Amino acid sequence: MFGFWKTWKALEARGIMGINRRNADYVLKYNKRSLYPIVDDKIITKERAIKAGIHVPEMYGVISTEKEIEKLDEIIGGRSDFVIKPAQGAGGDGILVIADRFEDRFRTVSGKIISHEEIEHQISSILTGLYSLGGHRDRALIEYRVTPDQIFKSISYEGVPDIRIIVLMGYPVMAMLRLPTRQSGGKANLHQGAIGVGVDLATGLTLRGTWLNNIISKHPDTTNAVDGVQLPNWDGFMKLAAGCYELCGLGYIGVDMVLDQDQGPLILELNARPGLNIQIANDCGLTLRTHAVEAHLEELATKGIQETVEERVRFAQELFGHIHQSE
Amino acid sequence: MRALTLHLKILISILVVLGISITAYQIFVIGIPVTEDATDDLWNIDAKVEFVANAKDPVKIQMFVPPLNRDYVSLNESFISNNYGVSVNRVDGNRKVTWSARRVSGKQTLYYRLVLTKRYSGDKTKVKGPVFRDSIAVEGPEKIAAEALLAPIRQHSADVETFIGETIKRVNNLNDDNVKLLLAGDPSTPHKAQVIELLLSIAHVPMERVHTIRLVADQPQNPELWLRSFNGNDWLYFNPETGEQGLPSDRLLWWIGDEPMVTVDGGKKPNVTFSLNNSEMNAIRLAKLTDENTDANFLEYSLYGLPLQTQQTFMIMVMIPIGVLVILVLRNLIGLQTLGTFTPVLIALAFRETQLEFGIILFTVITALGLMLRSYLEHLKLQMLPRLSVVLTFVVILIAAISLFSHKLGLERGLSVALFPMVILTMTIERLSITWEERGGGHAMKVAIGTLFAATLAYLVMSIPELVYFVFTFPAVLLILVGFMLAMGRYRGYRLTELVRFKAFLKADS
Repeated sequence: MFGFWKTWKALEARGIMGINRRNADYVLKYNKRSLYPIVDDKIITKERAIKAGIHVPEMYGVISTEKEIEKLDEIIGGRSDFVIKPAQGAGGDGILVIADRFEDRFRTVSGKIISHEEIEHQISSILTGLYSLGGHRDRALIEYRVTPDQIFKSISYEGVPDIRIIVLMGYPVMAMLRLPTRQSGGKANLHQGAIGVGVDLATGLTLRGTWLNNIISKHPDTTNAVDGVQLPNWDGFMKLAAGCYELCGLGYIGVDMVLDQDQGPLILELNARPGLNIQIANDCGLTLRTHAVEAHLEELATKGIQETVEERVRFAQELFGHIHQSE
Repeated sequence: MRALTLHLKILISILVVLGISITAYQIFVIGIPVTEDATDDLWNIDAKVEFVANAKDPVKIQMFVPPLNRDYVSLNESFISNNYGVSVNRVDGNRKVTWSARRVSGKQTLYYRLVLTKRYSGDKTKVKGPVFRDSIAVEGPEKIAAEALLAPIRQHSADVETFIGETIKRVNNLNDDNVKLLLAGDPSTPHKAQVIELLLSIAHVPMERVHTIRLVADQPQNPELWLRSFNGNDWLYFNPETGEQGLPSDRLLWWIGDEPMVTVDGGKKPNVTFSLNNSEMNAIRLAKLTDENTDANFLEYSLYGLPLQTQQTFMIMVMIPIGVLVILVLRNLIGLQTLGTFTPVLIALAFRETQLEFGIILFTVITALGLMLRSYLEHLKLQMLPRLSVVLTFVVILIAAISLFSHKLGLERGLSVALFPMVILTMTIERLSITWEERGGGHAMKVAIGTLFAATLAYLVMSIPELVYFVFTFPAVLLILVGFMLAMGRYRGYRLTELVRFKAFLKADS
């Protein structure tokens, strides 16, 4: 019991945010329920982003009824690689990534050959709401398959690494690079076994990572060091993330982005309840940073100033960036 | 935000204060016992009246029965007599039963049975009594002896109470010549009482004879004579033998006055024997019984006022928030992972019917078989609704099969499986299998065990009889519960499992 208390105090001192605090002080406080559909439905997110001029993977088509499944071929056209996603899926479930065609069949990114019927069944499952939050009927989204930038080749196993930045009221607070592993099956979700690697907000240099709640510095599959990698176009990512506040109006979000080798930074999705493992990846608590941002906001509010995206990014980079990791 | 917090604090305080005060009112003012074990003594008094009837004469037998006006409440009263007419009437604060028959002969036995208990509520009715009386006329040596006795009594007493006490003490001093004269060689209690009455009447102090029965089980006894006098507020009771003041709490007042307990017309040798025994009874049930016989209907507006069948339902219902609270604590404070939010509570409710061990076994078996079916169905690529329907039907068949088997094997317990909520089982299977596919078997196992653990804990808490009684009797406790739940809604500390989850930080530190 005493041990727990000590742990408690130590975590509190380091500003580690727990689920209860995240829910009570951030998710419930800054995220208006009526705005949730914007982030919960990837199709709406995409439409909004396009309208705001923010880069997203190109959408090939939407299937919203069983009847429309017939149109699948039409939507795919001659393309040999594409992604099928549930519009309201959570945690990367139900996503089918087709990398190639193989005779009459398709090959998924992990090398599995699947038939046309299997794809149709997958879409049908998506429509019935198998993967959606709360089991509601859902829509299937068919979109451009992102080709990850070559930079990730050495520190990633299959799949698409993505970059998650937690944004509080438009201020980037913490960033993490998520690398799929063999265990995660090419998915970039930490609870499925992907690695989270902290990223310095100022420079875009990677820090050490977290894998299954442990701190690591090497990729378990490629054994290459995950720290000290310079992410290209980092300021672009920061601005993209900061701009998502205006896009959705939610105050506390996790912005998931990818770096496509042709199209550069793209927004994949927004998350209204971003996970907490990012703290382990950065070896830093969220609460200290969010409190700093909240104090800054209060100060601005008294002066009646509203900062632009660039100003917000600069503020975050100055305050939270340039970390010297202790060995 | 701060305003919201203040708002919440006020709301919580109001709820908690309201809950506590209603409960306190019930406990301290109405006097509802806090635990079910608080039982009250229930006395069963049989008075057996025997006499020999004269042939050819009509028989009329009169007996005093307890007036039951103050400290005791009668729950049941019966007059057992074959072919006698029975009537009860009240005379001067006494109650008298009259049995009558036209033609009986030989030895007769009549019974009077009374079931009673101490009065529940604390408030006592106002009593009235005489405070003055005329002197009984005495002459000659008795008068002189009485006055000789009274002079020192007056000296040694301050008020009515001490006066009577002193008088009784003097009369019991058999060596005193004046007392000897007044008693005239008959030192029996009734006679002493008579002398005491004489002395008191000279001083204009009224006095009544009170015949009491001692509430003690399995002991032969005769009515015991006590004296009482009214001091303006209350009756003061005195033992004529010892001068001891105050009626012991185990005495039941049977009748007042000089008359014998039983009088027989048309018969002889009346004899009354008492037999008493006591039993214990749940205080609330007792209160309800009492309720029917008195005007104190404080239970009218509690859940006890509902029909018995409905009461049983409510006993389960009021415990559901308690179960939910257990889940809340397990999830938000401990960080246990369960399937769904309230599934564990529903499973816990099912455990009520099946008993715990058996419930866990059944649940595990059905879920395991269901998962096997579900994983087979996965290959068939069915849509969700048909798939769920198949699983549900399978669950029903499985339940029927288990019932049948256990019935054939003579395990009646197995039949209770039918009460397991099938839809809950189906959803559990479905959710578990999705979890299995998405997060792997290990995670699914963890969640399933978490769910079972939560359900078990919720069941155990929900079936603590004292707790069930307490919540059912004091439903205002639920308000306090809501207050706690509201407070939990703004709890932002770590969950216990997070302390383990974020251990990596501490390792890095050291």
